Parts: sequence; structure tokens; C-alpha cells
Amino acid sequence: MTRSTRKLLDKSFSSLGVFSILFMAGSLVVILAPIVVRGAGAVAFRATAEHRRMMLEQFGAGDRAEVEAETAAVLAERKPLFDMLAGFRIEMKSMPFKRKREFEGKLAELEGRIRELFGPLPGEPRPVLPRMRYGQTRWDRAKVKLEAVLFTETYDCSDPTKMGVLVRKPRAEEFEGTFVAALFPHLEAHAGEMLRPRFTIYWRFFTDVSRDAHFFGGIWPELLGTFYLTIGAIAFAVPVGVLSAVYFAEYAGQSIVNAVLRMLINTLAGVPSVVFGLFGLAFFINAVHLSESKSVLAGSLTLALLVLPTIIRASEEAIRAVPQTYKEAALSLGAGKGRAVATVILPAALPGILTGVIISMGRAAGETAPIIFTAAVSVGDPLGILETLSQPTPALSWNVYNLSTEHQKLDELRHVQYGMVLALVAVVLILNMAAIILRARISRKLKG
Amino acid sequence: MPEYTGNAGGDVAAGTCRPCSRPGLVLGRAAGLRRQASAFAARVVLFSAAAASSAAVLFILGFILRDALPFFKLRGFSEFLTSVKWFPSRSPPEFGALAIIAGSAIVTACAAAFAVPLGISAAVCMSEVLPFRTRQAVKPVIEILAAIPSVAYGFFALVVLAPFLQDNGGTALSAAVWVAGGPVAAIACVAAGGAASSLLPSRAGRAARWPLAGLFAAAAFIALRELSSAAEDLEISSGTNALNVSLILGIMALPTVVSVSEDALQAVGRDLREGSYALGATRAETVVKVVIPAASSGLVAAVMLGIMRAAGETMVVWMASGNSAKVPSPIYNLLEPIRTLTATIAGDMGEADHVTGSARYHALFAMAAGLLLVSFACNVASEWVMRRARRKNSGG
Repeated sequence: MTRSTRKLLDKSFSSLGVFSILFMAGSLVVILAPIVVRGAGAVAFRATAEHRRMMLEQFGAGDRAEVEAETAAVLAERKPLFDMLAGFRIEMKSMPFKRKREFEGKLAELEGRIRELFGPLPGEPRPVLPRMRYGQTRWDRAKVKLEAVLFTETYDCSDPTKMGVLVRKPRAEEFEGTFVAALFPHLEAHAGEMLRPRFTIYWRFFTDVSRDAHFFGGIWPELLGTFYLTIGAIAFAVPVGVLSAVYFAEYAGQSIVNAVLRMLINTLAGVPSVVFGLFGLAFFINAVHLSESKSVLAGSLTLALLVLPTIIRASEEAIRAVPQTYKEAALSLGAGKGRAVATVILPAALPGILTGVIISMGRAAGETAPIIFTAAVSVGDPLGILETLSQPTPALSWNVYNLSTEHQKLDELRHVQYGMVLALVAVVLILNMAAIILRARISRKLKG
Repeated sequence: MPEYTGNAGGDVAAGTCRPCSRPGLVLGRAAGLRRQASAFAARVVLFSAAAASSAAVLFILGFILRDALPFFKLRGFSEFLTSVKWFPSRSPPEFGALAIIAGSAIVTACAAAFAVPLGISAAVCMSEVLPFRTRQAVKPVIEILAAIPSVAYGFFALVVLAPFLQDNGGTALSAAVWVAGGPVAAIACVAAGGAASSLLPSRAGRAARWPLAGLFAAAAFIALRELSSAAEDLEISSGTNALNVSLILGIMALPTVVSVSEDALQAVGRDLREGSYALGATRAETVVKVVIPAASSGLVAAVMLGIMRAAGETMVVWMASGNSAKVPSPIYNLLEPIRTLTATIAGDMGEADHVTGSARYHALFAMAAGLLLVSFACNVASEWVMRRARRKNSGG
């Protein structure tokens, strides 16, 4: 090989590494960007008059007089629309039977679309489900629904050799020449006044309970559930983990027994998370009957097993990092080994142990698979402290899964899903940032 | 990931200090006894904590096996391992898990094929090329990548990546062919031109170098164009497929691979590198021929841990793999939906746990037992490799 070829290979070798690192950073950005941007949309969005009415009726939020005045105003704006529909119904009566039949179906569909946009039509009974009582509360969703009123979408499958082609036609064409044809341009021109979108920051997304399976309201029960599970897991794992770490760092010799113990703990770290969940179900619930069925307690214990290796490893490293001179000084002052560990070494290792604990908290908060069978339910009320012993809870991680795959209307609730993912990622990343900062401070201190 | 937890330093110190903690002349006999007793008690407590933590994994294994055995007693091994018919809720039910095992193997292999080269080259770059400050800036990126919850990755795969693949998959794949293949092909052509020209007598060779490289480049260009137009024509009928999942699992396994292999590379002694540079090797040659062979055991461990991370992952595959229990045809067709062991356990348990005791419930434990045994084997193997390397390093 010539020297220039070798140089070229050397350069390209380095750039391959740089490319890999850039790829990692890039994928981090690509993954986090939609979560952050659209997740923020769950909190900050253009809320319609329907949102303010819903908040007043469901959560008692907002100024009653103001909201009622606004509701009356938007209803007045919508009145011409409903008048047109009523007028069309009268017009239909005078139509020949066949034409009338044809229009009945179309009118029902149109009314259905309008109901989705504005809520129940005037004179209709109040629906039982809250989701049907209100029109679109968000302007971005309202625009989608507005499109659905204005246009029909059908698939043209006349050519069986190809995939169906989407055909989009103005709905006005269906009603051409009738009384209701004027509805469409009117609606298009005045939709803003009928819904009055206003930029709103909905902080209560984090503190409200959800209504009607997350159609309205916030994610408080999920946040609280994640908090309970995380704290529970840490409360069980830290004492055992730190004691084990002390044993491994200060007492364990190099015997076979200790080597085996170490290997087992490393193996525990490699157990797939779903297996923890299965074990939690088989042991804590089916064998020990810790609780009737799923409970926060069983979930916390399962998560505690999962984070135990992390805590042991981090604590052991922190204890080993304490300078030998500290211990020697304590021993030379006449302290026994136990006392030296408890009063000198552990306090000195505390920041390092804390780092491991914080990272484990992030891990416990983010895990889903272990709590599926042991603790998580998709809908539930916020629990009191004592209820955690026997009751299951919604949790951020599980509900992200549940809302985005199993919910009846998952397309309509993208904003809630994104908001929940953002909340989860934010919790985990804030914990990890705290750990990174803490570690940087420790290493600066050790350097002196 | 198991890190180096050697205890040589601690023990030597503990050995020298042990006499000081014995009752000396200062203490009375009773006080000395008390002190000894409490030291003993502390030792017992600590040991039992450590033993309990270690026993947890055996306990898990025992419990999973206990619930898995009834399945094998009831149905035997051969159907589970050889049939591709997974119809647990039909009557009579069929429990052929081969397609599901194949699904797990496919996504794990693809994720590893993606994460290992990228991860190791990133680790090499971090440990050999980047200056200290830049490395400190890159580390948080890796930590954050590792910290993002798996359900968030799954959500991304399902809600962002799957529709994207479905709509623009062909275009994206052909772009990927150019981005990944282009630079590699260019470098390979120049190098091959150089290598080929060195076979000719020296004068003609020097002159022939660039024309030869051009020739190779033309061939490579045509091959890449063919490949990218083939990719462009691919129709992706569902975005939730093996490719999607492999990509995301690869990204999830990257942090593990990078951090463990970086540790392994850092552990290689400076003298080896300096020896290689002194002989006139370039950095690339030093890394490929000296550093990587010296760190090979650590790298093997990194690969195994990365593979385990991908194989044990649940949420991403459950959400974005399509969950269809059939072997893709042909088997390398990544654009078909697949189903994995972890996703089956997570998905079926909800239905099976009402009927505790049924074969269906135990079938899931059988799958878990399989996963567990594989992860044990990987872990023990990587431990063993690392331990051997450590002994070799410390032995000089």
C-alpha cells in the first residue's frame, strides 16, 4: 500500500467514528424532537370556546359568567347553520320520495360531522358520555373535523389490480341546489367565530384527573402512580442494595462464594424486564397473595428487584472510590471496622450512592414491562397512600402504551399521548441530568 | 452491564488493617468481646443482604421454571420448538413457538448487525480520536440515549417511524443506500486502485492508479444505483415491521455497546499503542491491528450485552413489530411484520392470567424460561471472557 492510501484509510477510519457519534446524536434529536414539540402541544395550544365550557362544567375552572356569555355568543354565531339544517329538513318534506331517501342518509352523515365539530345539535338530549357533550376543544383537532364537514373522502376501488385511490370531493356538491348548500361557505368563513380559538397554556394538564378515558383532563393519576411506584421501588431496593454493596466493597474476600455472588448479581442485571413482570405475577400475586390482584406494592417490589443490581454496582463503586486514607484515619483513631464504615466511609460515599439511586429512579419510572402484570391499570383514580398496598394504579409508562395502541379513539388523542410521553421522558431525563451533574461535582471534588 | 469490580485493592488494604480492629491492650476483656460480637453480627447482616440480592436471580429462575414445567409435561418439547402454528386460544390449542422464536432471533440479529459496527466505531473514536473535552460532551448523549424509557422508543417507532416508513419507506431506503454506501464505496475504490496499481511494475503502476480507481468507482456507482432503485421500488405495506423494530432496537443497544467497548479499549495499555506508533503504523492500523485484538474480550462482552439488551426488550417490539406470529418469507424479508417472545409474553398474559393453570399460561412461562436461560448463558459467557482478559492483563 502506498503512503497516501494508508493516510486516506486512516482519515476515513476516524471519520467513520465521527459519523457513528453524529448518528447517535442525530437519532437522539430525531427521537426527542417530535416528543418535545408535540408533547408541548398538550399543554400549550389554541383552545376553543368548547374547551372553556368543558373546563367549567367538568373541572369548575374559569369564570362562570364569562364562559356562559361566551357560550351564548358562539351559539348565536352557529345559529344560522342550524337554521339552514332545519330549513333543509322542511325543504325535504316537499321532495319526491326517492330524492328524499337519498338525502336522508347524506343529511344524517352531515349532521354527524357537525356534531363532532360543535357537539350535540340544539334540541338534542344531553349525551351520557362527556366526550359527546362537547365540540372540539382544540383548534388543531377542530380544523381536521372542519375538513371532514367540508369534504367527503371515499376510496375508489374500481381498479381491482391496484390499491384504492383516495377521492376527496367538496361535500357541497352532494347538496347542490338545495337550501343547505349555503351552509358550507358560511361555515368555512365563520368557523373561527363559532369556536373562538384562543392560545391557552393548560398547566392543569399535569394536575387534573382525566375524564372519560383521557378525552378531557390531565394526567395526574398517572404521574402520581409513577411517583408511588418509583418511590416504592427505591425504598425497597436501597437498604438491601447499599448493605450488599458494603459487603462486597469492604468485607468480601476473593473466595469462590463471593465470586459466585457477584456473578449472580450481574446476571440479575441481564434478566429481561418482562421476565421480572412475569415473576412478580407468579410470586408476589399468585404465590404470596400480597394483594388481591395487581397492586402498587407488588409493582414496587418487582421494580425493586429490577433496579437492585444498578444500586449495588453504583454504591460499591462509590464506596471503593473513598480514599483509603479516610478509612485508615478512622481505624487509627480506634474505631472498629463497622464504625469506620458507618461513620466515615458511607458518608463520604453518599454522593456517589445518591447518583446511583437517582439513575435507578429514572429506570424504575420508565419501565413498563414489569408493571404490566403487577401494578398497572389503564384508567383509575389517584390513590391515597394506604390504598397503594392493595390497589393498582395508572402509571405514565403503561398508559403511554395503552393510549397509543389499545384506546378506542387513539387517533383523536395524539396530543394526550404525546403529552404523556413528554412527561415521562422529562421525569426520566431530569433525574438523569441530576445524576450527571452530581457526578461531575463529585469528580471535581475528588480532583481537588 | 457488568463492569470491572475487581477487589484486589480493597482486600490488600483490608488485610493490612484487620489487626487494628482487633481488641488491643486498651480495651477491657468484656468490651473486647462485645466489640467482636457486634463486628460478627454486622458481618452476618451484610452477608445476608448480599446473599439475598444474589439469590434473587436464582429465585426468579426457580419460579419461572416451576411454572414452565407443567407446560412441557403437558405438551412436550417438540411442538413448542418445531411447529410454527401459534393458536393458543383455539380449541384444541396449538403452541408452536418456532415462528416467534425466529422473530426474536431476526430482530435481535438485525439490531446487533446495526448496533455493533456503529457502536464499536463510536467507541474507538471516543477513546482513540476525540480529545478529552469532546469526549466529556459526548458521554451525556450516550447516557441520555440509554435513559430514554423503552416505551418512549416504542411510541416513536409506532407513531412517527411506522407511518414514515409506510409512506416514504422506499425513498428513505434508497437514500440510506447512497448515504451509507457512497462514502464507503468511494474510499474502497481509491484504496483498491492503489492496491491494484501496486501490483503493476512501479512506473506504470503509479500512472495507472487514478484511472484504475475511476474504473472501480464507475462499477461501484452502477451497483449502488441498481441497489437504490431496487430499494426505491419496494412497497412497504405496513410500517410496523421487522425493519422498524430492528432499527430502534439497534439504537437502544448502542449505548450499551459503546460504553462497555469504550471501557475495554481504555483498559488497553499505553505501551502497546506507543509500540505500534513507533513502528510507523497509522492510527487506524494501530487500532485495527493492536488495540482491538488486545481489547477483543471486552468487545465480545460488549457485543453480548448489546445483544441481550435487544433480545430482552419488550415495549418496542410489542408496539411496533406488527405482532404476527409467522416466519417472514423469505426469512430475510425485514419488511414483514413479526412477533417476538417478549411481546408474546406481554401481550398474551393479559388474556391468560384469568385462567391460571391452563396450558396457555404455562406456555408463556416456558417462553420466559427460554429467554432467561439464554440471557444467563450470555451473561456467564461474557463474565468468563472478561475475567479471563483481566487475568491476562494483570498477568502481563
